[in-house]
This record gives sequence, C-alpha cells and structure tokens, in this order.
Amino acid sequence: MWNDLLMGSPVYLSAALAIIIILVDAFSGKNKSLTFYFALISLIAVGILSAYTMNMHGQPVPEGGFSNGMIAYGGISAVFDILFVIAGILTLFASQSYMRAQNVERKEFYSLILFAVCGMSTIAHANNMLILFVGIEIMSITFYIMAGFFRERFTSVEAALKYFLLGAFATGFLIYGMALIYGATGGLLDFEAIGAKMLTGNVDFLYLRIGFALLIVGLSFKVAAFPFHQWAPDVYQGAPTMATGFMSTAGKAAALAALILVTKAMLPSNFDPALISDKIIEMTDFTTDAKWLIAIISALTMLVGNISAVVQKNVKRMLAYSSVAHAGYLLMGIVSNSINGWSGIVFYSMAYMFMQIGAFVVVGIIEKNDGRMDLKDYTGLSKTNPMLAAIMGIFMFSLAGIPPFGGFPGKYMLFIAAIESGFTWLTIVAVISTIISIYFYIGLIVYMYFKDSETPMTEKFGFSKATLTLVISTIFVILLGIFPTYLIDLVKGLF
Amino acid sequence: MLLFSVLSGIIVACLVPFLFKFGRKPASIIISMVPLSLFLYYLFNFGITDNLGYSESIEFFPALGVNLNFVMDSYALIFALIITGIGTAVFFYSSYYLAEHPYLDRFYIYISIFMASMLGIVTSDNMVIMFIFWELTSISSFLLIGFKHREEKSRYSAWQALLVTGSGALALLAGILLLYVITGKMNFSEINAMPGIIQSSTLFLPAMFLVLGGAFTKSAQMPFHFWLPNAMEAPTPVSAYLHSATMVKAGIYLMARINPAFQGAIEWETTLTIFGGITMLFAAYMALKQTDLKRILAYTTLSVLGTLTLLIGIGTPLAMQAMLVYLIAHALYKGTLFLVAGAIDHGTGTRNIDEIGGLRKFMPITAVAATLAAFSMAGVLPLFGFIGKELLYEAALQPNLFGYTTFAIVFLAALFGVVAAGMSAIFPFFGQAKYPNSKPHEASFTMYSGYVITAFLGLLFGLLPMIVSDNVAKAVSDIYYNLPVAVSSSMYLALWHGFNLVLFLSLATLALGIVILMFRKKLFAIIRKINLPEYLLPSKGYDMSISILIASARLTTKVLQNGYLRNYITLILITLLILTSYSLFTFSDLSVISLYHPVTIYEIIIAAIITISTILVVKSSGRLQAVAALGVVGIFVAVVFSIYGAPDLAMTQYSIETLTVILFVLVIYKLPKFMHYSKFSHRMQDFFLASAVGLTMTILILMVTANEMPTEFKEYYGKTSYLLGKGRNIVNVILVDYRALDTLGEIVVLSLAALGVFALLKLKKDDRGFE
Repeated sequence: MWNDLLMGSPVYLSAALAIIIILVDAFSGKNKSLTFYFALISLIAVGILSAYTMNMHGQPVPEGGFSNGMIAYGGISAVFDILFVIAGILTLFASQSYMRAQNVERKEFYSLILFAVCGMSTIAHANNMLILFVGIEIMSITFYIMAGFFRERFTSVEAALKYFLLGAFATGFLIYGMALIYGATGGLLDFEAIGAKMLTGNVDFLYLRIGFALLIVGLSFKVAAFPFHQWAPDVYQGAPTMATGFMSTAGKAAALAALILVTKAMLPSNFDPALISDKIIEMTDFTTDAKWLIAIISALTMLVGNISAVVQKNVKRMLAYSSVAHAGYLLMGIVSNSINGWSGIVFYSMAYMFMQIGAFVVVGIIEKNDGRMDLKDYTGLSKTNPMLAAIMGIFMFSLAGIPPFGGFPGKYMLFIAAIESGFTWLTIVAVISTIISIYFYIGLIVYMYFKDSETPMTEKFGFSKATLTLVISTIFVILLGIFPTYLIDLVKGLF
Repeated sequence: MLLFSVLSGIIVACLVPFLFKFGRKPASIIISMVPLSLFLYYLFNFGITDNLGYSESIEFFPALGVNLNFVMDSYALIFALIITGIGTAVFFYSSYYLAEHPYLDRFYIYISIFMASMLGIVTSDNMVIMFIFWELTSISSFLLIGFKHREEKSRYSAWQALLVTGSGALALLAGILLLYVITGKMNFSEINAMPGIIQSSTLFLPAMFLVLGGAFTKSAQMPFHFWLPNAMEAPTPVSAYLHSATMVKAGIYLMARINPAFQGAIEWETTLTIFGGITMLFAAYMALKQTDLKRILAYTTLSVLGTLTLLIGIGTPLAMQAMLVYLIAHALYKGTLFLVAGAIDHGTGTRNIDEIGGLRKFMPITAVAATLAAFSMAGVLPLFGFIGKELLYEAALQPNLFGYTTFAIVFLAALFGVVAAGMSAIFPFFGQAKYPNSKPHEASFTMYSGYVITAFLGLLFGLLPMIVSDNVAKAVSDIYYNLPVAVSSSMYLALWHGFNLVLFLSLATLALGIVILMFRKKLFAIIRKINLPEYLLPSKGYDMSISILIASARLTTKVLQNGYLRNYITLILITLLILTSYSLFTFSDLSVISLYHPVTIYEIIIAAIITISTILVVKSSGRLQAVAALGVVGIFVAVVFSIYGAPDLAMTQYSIETLTVILFVLVIYKLPKFMHYSKFSHRMQDFFLASAVGLTMTILILMVTANEMPTEFKEYYGKTSYLLGKGRNIVNVILVDYRALDTLGEIVVLSLAALGVFALLKLKKDDRGFE
C-alpha cells in the first residue's frame, strides 16, 4: 500500500498541492509571493519525487492497491513529470516578471501552473483510458483559463473562447473513440490489457479502426496537428505570452505522452504466434493504416505549420505556427512506433521546451506592456541588447534544428526512427519543411543583427526572475545539443 | 589533442570578449596566434613526423552511431594546413584591415568558430559530426557575409547564402541517413570500404544525389553558384578565407572523401564531369564580364571549383593527383589575390579595375606578391600553378567519358583564367598610373606579410615540388578505392617533364591568353554587352522559389486560418467524415443493420417532434425562438431516455435543459442583436455537411447496436446487485453503491453550477469593474 502510494506520488502530490494552493491563494490576501513560493516549492517537491521514483520502473503494478492498477509508475512517466515540472518552474519565474511588466500580476496564475502540471502528470501516468481522459481534461480546462487570463483584453478572451469551444468539440471525439475501443476490445480500458488483447488479434476491427481514428482526432487536436491545428495560432497569439510558452511546450509534450500510451498499446509490432493467419492480415492492415494516418497528419502538419509561418510579421504568431510544425516533427516518432521514435519524442520535447519557453520569454521582454511583437520591433536588437539578441539567436538556430544546439539531436533521432520504420518519404518531407523553416527563423536573426532601426530601441533590460528562465533555457539548449547522449541513454533504458 | 586542436577555435571564440578587455590591438594579435600555432602543430606533429592516420574517438551519441571520431590522414592534413595557414594570414590581415570596425570582437568570434568548424569537417570520420560542423560553417559564413550589414544587398546575400547552402546541407543529411540505411554505418572509413553494397542498392541514386546536393551548393556548382559572387559583399578577408580558400572547398572535400564509396559508378562520374565542366567554362567566361576585382576573383574561384569537380569526375589516380595539386595551388594564389584586392581597396578606395592602374609605384611589395600569384594562376613556369595546369591537361587528355570535349572545355577555361589573371593582378599594378581619389598607400606589415608569404610559397612549391609530392601521393590513396601500389609509388611531382604535348599546350594557353589581353579593350567591350536572358539565370530561380513560398504561405494562411470558428469546425468535421466513412464503408458489412424494427406510435411522435423542432431551430428568426426550440429538442431526448429505462439520465438531461434556459434568460438582454444571417451558399454547405456527418454517425450507431456487446458486466451486475447492494433496481444500485463516489462528484458539479448561477444572479453591473 505505502509502496504503491509512493510510486504514484507525483500524481497524488501534485493533485493534493493543487487543491491546497487554492486555499493558500484564497487566504493569503494581498501577499502575492506566498502563492508564488508555494507553487515553486510544490513543483520542486513533485520533481524530486519523480526523480526518486524514476527507477521503480518495471516493478509490477500492485493489484487492488491504492490506484487499482490505473496509474503507471516511474520510468518514462517520471521523465515526463520532470519535463512538466521544469516547464512549470521556468514559466513560474518568467510569468512573475512578465505580469509585473504588464501591470497585471494576479497570483491565480501560479496556482494554475500547478493545476496544469497535475493534469499533465496524470496523463503521463495513465494506465487506463479514463485516467487519461481525466488528465487531459484537467490540463485542457486549466489551459482555457490560462488563455483567457488577461480577461480585460479582447484578444485574450477571444483566444480562451475559441480554445474552449473547439477543445470541448475535440473532447467529444476523444470520448467517443474511447467508447468504441472499449467496445472493440470487449470491454477493456487498461492500456496494458488492451495491448495484450491486441496481440491475440481477438478484437472487432471495424470499431477499433473508427475508435482509433476518433482518438487520434481528439489527441491531434491537443497536439495541434493538421487539420486540427487551426485554434493554435489564434490561441497562442491571444493568450498571455508566458501561458503560450507553457501550453505550447508542456501541453504538447503531455498530449504526445498520451499518444505514445495509445499507440504503444494499440499498434503492436509482433503478434502472438498462435494467431490465425487472416487475423494477422487484419492486424497488419490495421497497424499499417494507422501509421499511414498519423504519417499523413505529421507530414501535412509540418508543411502547413512552416509554410504559414513564413509570412507572419508578428513574432509571437510566427512562433505559434512554428509550434504547429514542431508537432509535425514530433509525430514522426509516433509513426515510427519504436523505442528510437519514442525516445526521440522525449528528447525533442525536452529540448523544445527549453528553446520555446526561452524564445517566449524574450518575446515577453520585448513586448513589455505596449504589445510590441512585430518583426520590425526586433530591428537592431543586437546593438541595444547584445545578450538578449544572442540568446534569441541561439533559440532560433536551435528551433531551426541547426547543430550544435538542442534542436538538432532530437530531430535527427526522429528522422532516423522514421527511416528505420520504412517512412523514408516522411523524412524527406521533414527535411523539406525544415528548409522552409530556416527562412523565417533566420529572418528574425537578420532583423536582430543585420538591420539598423530608424527608431532604435533604447531601453536595456535589467535582471529579473525571467532572466533566470532565460539563462537556464540557454544553458540547456546548448548542453542538450553538445551532450545529447546522457538524456538519450536514460530515456531509452526506460521504455 | 587532435580534438582539442579542432575545437580550440570555439574555445577562443568564447574567450574573445574577455581578451578584448585588454584592448583591440593586443587582443587581435593574441587571437591571430591561434591559427598560427595550430598550423605549426599540424605541420610538425603530422606533416613532418608523418604521424598520419592518427585518430581519436569520443562517445557522443552512441545509441545512433554518432561518435566524435577524428582522423588525421594525408588528405585531411592538406586541408588542415590550408585552413590554418591561410587562416593565419587572414587573422593577422584583419587585425589591421578591420581595425576601425566597431564590431571587431564579433568578427573574431565568428571567424574563430568558422575555422574550428572547417577543421572539424576535414578531420571528422563520422558523417553526422561532419554534417554538424558543415552547418556551423554555414552559420558563421552567414554572420560574416552580413557583417557589413548597412546595405540591404549585404543582408540579401547573407540570407541567400544561408538558404542555399543550408538547404543543401539538409539534403546532405538526408543522403547521409540513406547511406546509413544502406550500410548501417556512419563513418567514412566504413562506408568507403563497401562500394559494392552501396552501388547495388536501390537507394544508391537518391543517396548519391542528396549528398551531391550538399556538395554542389556548398562548392557553388552550377546551377547553385549564384550565392558565391553575391557573397562578395563580405569583408575582403572573409572572401579570401571562406569564399575562396576553405569553405567553398568543403563540397570538393566531401566529394573526394566519399569518392571510394561511389567510385566506378557511371552516374557518379557523369554527373560530376558534366556539372564540373559546365561550371568551369561558364564561370570562367563570366569572370571576363566583371569590373569589380572581387567579383572577377569570385568567378575564377567558381571556375576552379568546377575544375576540381570535373577532375574528381574523371576519377583516375592522375586526375585525383591533379585535383589535389590544383587545389593547393589555388588556395595559395587565390588567397593572395583576395588579400591583395583588399589591400588595393584599402589603399585606393575602389575595386573597379577600370579605375586603377600602375599601382606598383605606390604598393611595390603588394605588386610583387600579386605578380607571383597571377603567374601561378596563369600557369607560368616555375610556379606551382604551372605544375597544377600540366597535371590538369594530362588528366583531361586521358581517356574519359566525354573524350576530347573534356579537354576542349578545360583548355578554354584555362585560357580565360589566364586573361582573368592579367585583368585582376597584372594591370592594376602595371601600365599607366591611375587611381580615383587621394594617393594610394602601401599596406601595413601585418597586412602584407601574410599574402607575401603565401605568394612566395607558390614559388617555393613550384621550384621544390618534392615538399608536397609525397603527401599528395598519400592523399590520393586516401580518396581512391584500392589504389594499385605501383601507381601510388610512381606519383611524384616535378616542375619539368621535358618537351611534350602538355608543355606545348601550356605554352599555347599562355601565348593565346597574352594575345587576348593585348586586344582586351575591344574584346571586353563586346563581352560586357552580351547578357544572358534573365530567366536563364539560376538566381532568378532562387528569387522565384522564394516568391512561390511566400505566395503559398499567404494562400495557406488565408484558406486555413481565417479566424472564423465555423470554418475551423467545418474542416474538423470533414476530416472526421472522411476518417469514419472510410473505415465504415471499406471494412464493414452494412447488411447487418436490420431496417425492420417494430415501431410504436409514441416513438414516431417523439421523432417527429424532435425533427420539427430542429428545423425550427435552424429556420427561426429570433434568438428566443431558437433557444426555445432547442429546449424542446433536449426535453424530448430526455423523454426518450426515460422511456428506455434510464430515468437518472433523463433527470440529468431535464435539469441541464432547465439550467441552460435559466442561464440564457440571465444574459439575453446583454447579448447583441440577432441580425447576421449566413449566406445561402454557406447554409447549403453547412446543410450538406451536417447531413453527411449525421448520416455517417447514424450508420455507425446502428452498426454498433446491431452487434452483440460483451455481456459479462450485465451478468455481473445482475448477479450481485441484489446480493451485495440489497436493491432490485440495478441502475439505482450502480448509482448509489458501485459508483457512489462518482455520484457524489456529480452532485458536487451540480452544486457548483448552482453556485455559478447564484453568483450570476448577485452580479450587479457596477461590480464588473475591471482591475
């Protein structure tokens, strides 16, 4: 019992602390830093527990224990937990400075971060479709609120409303898909049980197909993949910048964790040798179709995301589109359906988190409180704020996947994984869209470094907690690029 | 140590800001000592001691076969010495040339990183690591081209160079990955040992063309050449270093390095010969049209790059030897000439060859260096360029795929080369003195010492070719698969080969070149007038693809991202429709749906009411009517629930319908007027979409209900609900016993909703003030 409790502790603790922080928030009056530090300490505690339970991976899930086998322990779930926690901490630091600069510091934001982490960690630990659903909803609802957090701003409210309506719509598909899979597998909800059932081939393939397709539709919406990506640019642009950074990194990683769970269980690569041959044919047909479905989504997502980003004049919106494109790259790992692909996803999400949150912090700093987010606002930044420009430059190179920054090894792993699984064409598409992406990432650098502004930015930006986020992000983007192997080896051993 | 030497440039780059705290001059001198000491290290540790084939390996990314394998063989050594040697000259030169530039520190950061990455390219055995360094050179080149960024043109060129070479690099990465798929290996040394496997693979041609895509863009072969002349916007030391001596040779380096794997394949040889030949001739011709000193040099560099590609394409050991000698000679004389061009620019303020002449009186030392370099470029005895040209002619005369056409091209290009040498390095210094502005001045010692040394090295190597002979022969065996021992031992370089055909041809080239130079005024007037039609220029292709990209981006954004929620939903529904109906109609047997069910009269009535109200919702002209009609739909759906034994569900539905109406009443006066109707065409579109989705979903549900569902749960609850829950109504027992927590949750949710309603009721207008 206690061991069971300990192993699932990141989920339980984050949930408990999220509930407590509401009370802290409610009773702390005007004291904003109490909520802030409570959130910070909570996140750190969750992170430590995740790190502690990481190696408990592979221990049998106790039957009828505290979670009744519905929660998965340690291993890769713990790695995802750590990712969410880091994203949360980075956002926490950055959002305080950001909200102060915008003159709207509301401490609820800090508790929302904790809530979101709770939801995401529930997703990563789900061993059951219902738990997965609960996690996705906790996360999504928190995100709707985060998107509309600047409630007196029209764009923010519009973003929240759009996100909510479309999100609710997508949730419908998700639950419908789960119901059909439940029926197709003869009443199963546990991923492990579904995986075992799939191996025997004793399932109803029609409902499985439709259920799987609907599930993919629902989850694609959460990752912002084509054609369910349309909310993303609008929402990411309208939401408070730090919320966008958080949603587009940790949120995406959580949705991918869900996709990994689903596809890992439902697309087995080897079948029971006792299987009769026409079942095998049906089974392989299903897995091939499923992979093709995701591959097509992935290819279109990267192309549409990158091509649309080319003409964006607003840096935040450009990053939003690029975030769509990155979802496309990440889906390659799902298509490959292999350990290489999955660890590629984890690595890439980790690196992407640092560079994207970092880039959004810079956007937030430039934005200040007069909403300067256009490319031309970055003109000549290298002269007025050389450090800021250099850091943004590193993030841009890294986002473009140019070595030796963190964006490269992950992309490389995903490319390899896709080729190994026979999707060479997908890699070619990924290469082409990467080429397109160089255009706009470098475009920003051209503005920062090679252009002289008629109205040069005069102010210099001093130290704040956001600087801490920037420094951490930059260091990790470089470290992950130069020493990728530590994380890769760790992750690979956990699948 | 090898690894450290490769990466030392990057380490220095990190230290540059600190060094500049001690003043600009000392800092630049200290930084310039780095390439010098590296040069000496490579020279003494590998060159003279013959310590070749030395390798170092560090694990980097072992899971996917990527490790830091560094190997120093003869072939790599040639490049390493060129990179650090020319680098030394350029570093010192820049400390004076850019002394006044406000961002000298940044210049040294970029160029140190560049040097390190270049060394990385030539020493790494692992292809992915090489690719990483390859990309680093693109980045640093981008930053260096844009260094004089005041002008729009300079930004455009930097961007162009990065897009072209960056795209090529990604093609290269794809090629590397394909080679990995074919062989399962990531190291050149391993790949090069298995040409049979590679060339018989179906992926061979894609892999080869992708690799060539990288090499051709980097080494500016036609039709990807246009970025190189534009890159002349960079400061002159950068042009000398990156765009002549080193970076543009990276493509050549790669082609020769990977030659053993592709060698012998007819496609490989044909492609290289054709592209090399065309580039060589076209660029040599284009050089004559230019008036800007640097652009002349750029086009002659292009021509040489074409020559080197062509020689790799010919592919005989002799051709490889010629390639290496030509490459060394070119690095020496072209490096010199670029630096000289910079000195002229610095001294006179112009680079237009029509405006300058007779500068030898003002710049005597530079004039000597320029003359030596020009002679080497033209292939005059006894300079190293002469040996290069002899070998080139010999190689081109060997039997090859295109017979004497190859030689004709080589000869013509060499002839144009002689003319260009005269234009760019002889006439500015001799003849009538002319200069645009104030009196020209000689370059300073830090500037000229570098290029004087490189110019004299051209002479030294020419007189004593045995200095390089041995290493070149070894390098040939590095880039040639299974070189016969007899051939490799017979390779030595000599200045004098006796009176033979090749010598005669060399002299003929020179003589013809001189004749052309004598009549140059008339000739140039004609050549400068002939212009290629614009649409034939590949740079137009670049501009066009950029505009296509932007246009398609506009289109995608307009179509997919118009900001209307309804369009987003439409697309989602269409996708849903495609996915569901595909599975439904491909994989199922629709005949299981039985269309004959006993229907009772009240079922028909309920269905009719729901249908009519739905039509009313759509057709109604006021908001209140629509909501009321929608309420009717909801209530009757609840009736269906209650008829079919789900009273709890029905209750929930009733309360939700009621709640909705209350909420609606609360806000109705705050809503804007209901007056915008969608267009008829939109309505029709929505109608068809809605019908299609509805139909598909109905079929799906009919299919599902026609199936036998697993009965274990039904049985379980049937058996245990009375025994464990003490209740006869199974649904009730499930609600209050089995799912008690769940029900509690539902109650909480409902209370929260009620609280929300309460809060709304209490809300007064003035409470809504924003913070």
